[in-house]
Amino acid sequence: MQFFKVIGRSLRSIGIVFSHEFNLFFTSPIVYLIGSVWLFLAGGFFALSLSAINTGQYEPDMLGMFSPMVFLMIFMAPALTMRLVAEEYRNGTNELLYTAPVRDWEVIFAKWLAVWAVFSVFMLISFVYPLILFSRGNPDPGLIITGYLGLWLMAGATLALGVFASSLTQYQLVAFFVTMGTLLVLWLAQQLTYIITSPKITPVLAEISLVSHYQNLVSRAIIDPIDVGYFVGIITVFLFLATQMLSTRRWSS
Amino acid sequence: MIQVEGLTKYYGNFKAIDSLSFYIDAGEVVGFLGPNGAGKTTTMRILTGFMPPNEGTATIAGYDVLDQPLEARQRVGYLPESVPLYKEMTVWQYVDYVAKLYNMRNPIRANRVDEVLDQVGMIDRADSLISSLSKGMRQRVGLAQALVHEPDVLVLDEPTIGLDPGQVREFRELIQQVGKEHTVLLSTHILSEVEQVCDRVLIIHNGQIVAEDRPDALSARLQGSHRFKVKVGNAKPEAIAEVIGGLPGVINVTSTDDGVEVLSEEEQDTRPAVAAAIVGKKWDLLELRPLDMSLEEIFLELTTNDRQTYEEEG
Repeated sequence: MQFFKVIGRSLRSIGIVFSHEFNLFFTSPIVYLIGSVWLFLAGGFFALSLSAINTGQYEPDMLGMFSPMVFLMIFMAPALTMRLVAEEYRNGTNELLYTAPVRDWEVIFAKWLAVWAVFSVFMLISFVYPLILFSRGNPDPGLIITGYLGLWLMAGATLALGVFASSLTQYQLVAFFVTMGTLLVLWLAQQLTYIITSPKITPVLAEISLVSHYQNLVSRAIIDPIDVGYFVGIITVFLFLATQMLSTRRWSS
Repeated sequence: MIQVEGLTKYYGNFKAIDSLSFYIDAGEVVGFLGPNGAGKTTTMRILTGFMPPNEGTATIAGYDVLDQPLEARQRVGYLPESVPLYKEMTVWQYVDYVAKLYNMRNPIRANRVDEVLDQVGMIDRADSLISSLSKGMRQRVGLAQALVHEPDVLVLDEPTIGLDPGQVREFRELIQQVGKEHTVLLSTHILSEVEQVCDRVLIIHNGQIVAEDRPDALSARLQGSHRFKVKVGNAKPEAIAEVIGGLPGVINVTSTDDGVEVLSEEEQDTRPAVAAAIVGKKWDLLELRPLDMSLEEIFLELTTNDRQTYEEEG
C-alpha cells in the first residue's frame, strides 16, 4: 500500500511539473519557430525522396526524410532544452522547486518529458507524410513504424542530454553549446567509421555512435533490443546526471 | 513549531552559521535581525529544505528537514529574498501552480487561490501577467504563493527589501495580519521593522545568536538616552561643549558640522539637564534628539554587554 502511495504521489508531482513546463513552451515564440523550421525541412526531405520514387526505381519509403533527422537534432535538441533548467537558476525559481514538496528527480523527469512531448507534437504533424505515401503507393509499413520509433527514441536521448547540459549552468547559451558540441562529437564518431578502418576501433565507434543505432532502427524494419536499449540507456544516464546536478547545486548556491 | 539544534553550515572553509540553536512556539512572530552575511538566509534555507546543514538538526512541526524532507516542506511557506516568479504566467496561474506543487486539489484549491489573492490585495490583478507587475505587487504575489497551502510556518526572507516607503508600510501591515494566524519567522536588518511586527527577536551575528529578547525590551536597551544630538542656534560648538561637558553624567561631547553629539552614562538621562543649561545661557535650543544606533553599533553594544555580564557572572 505504502509503495503505491509513494508511486502515486510521484506521478502526481511529475504530472504537475510536466503540464506547467509543457504550457510554458507555448508561451514563447521560439517553439513555433523551431517547429516550423523542423517541419519545413522534414517536408523538403520528404519531397526530395518522392521525386526519386517518381522515377519508378524505388519502393516508396521515408528513408529520405528519416536519415538527415539525426543531423537536424544536433541543432534542435539544444535549442529546445537550453532554457529548461538554466532559466530556473537564473530567475531564482529553483528556490521554489527546491523548497516545494517535490523530489529533484521528479522535476528533471517532468521537464524532459515535457520537451519530449513538444517534439512528439511536431512528429505527430509529420504523420501527414506517411498518409500521403499510403494514399498514393504501397510502402512498407514496418519500415515507417521503426523509422518513427527510431526518430522518437533518438529525440528522447538527445533531449535528455540537453536537459543535463541545461542543469549545469544558469547561462542558456552555455547549455546550448554543450549539447550541440556533445552531439557533434557523437555524430562525428559515426563519420570516423568511414575513415578509420581498424578492426578494433571501428566497431567501438559504431557502438557509441548515435547515428549507427538510429540508422539500424530506421533502415531495417527490425526493432533490435540493443538499439532500443542504447537510447533508453542514454536517457536514463543523462536524466540521472541532471538530477545529481540539480541536487548538487543546492549545496553550492 | 520550529526547533533548531546545533545547526552548522560551511561554504567551503567559511562557517556561515555556527552551531545555532533556537526554538519557536506555535503562533509566535519571530524576527531574525542581523547584518548582511550574518547567516539569516542560510538558516532559513536550511529550515525550508533548500539546502542541508553540515551538522545539527532542524524540525518543522515535528518533521526533520533532512529525514522527512517532503513532510517538512509541505508545512512551510517560504518567501525568498528574490521572489521566485514565472514572469510569463498570470498571477492566478502562478499561485495555482504553487498550490498544486503543495498537493492542493480542486475544488478547494481554486477557492483558496482566490481567497489568498484577496488577502494580499491582488485579486483584481489575478489575470495580469506577472511581468507587468510592480516590485511591490510582485512581493504580494510572493506572499500569496507562500500562504496558499495554509502552512504551519511562514518563512519570510527580507520581505520589505527593495520596496518604497509606502509599500513597506503596507507590506508590514500585511505581515502583522498574517502573523495573527501563523507562526512566522522573518529576517530583516531594520530594527524598526522588528519592533513593529515581531513578538520576539533573535539577533544573529557572524553565524551565532548573540541576543534574544522582546523587541520593546531590546529597543529600550539600545535606544537609551545616552547618545543624542544637540543643535543650538546662536552659539559656537566649542562654547556649547564647554557648558555641557561639565554636567554630571556627561562623558563626552564632540563637535559636528551643525551642533554637538553628547554621550552620557548609560543609566542616566542627562537630556533635561543639558536642555536647562542651554536655555539658561539664553541660547536657542533647535534640536535635541536621540541618535539611533547603526546595526553594527547595536551588535558591538550587545556583544560587549553580553561579555560583561558573562564576566560578571563568571
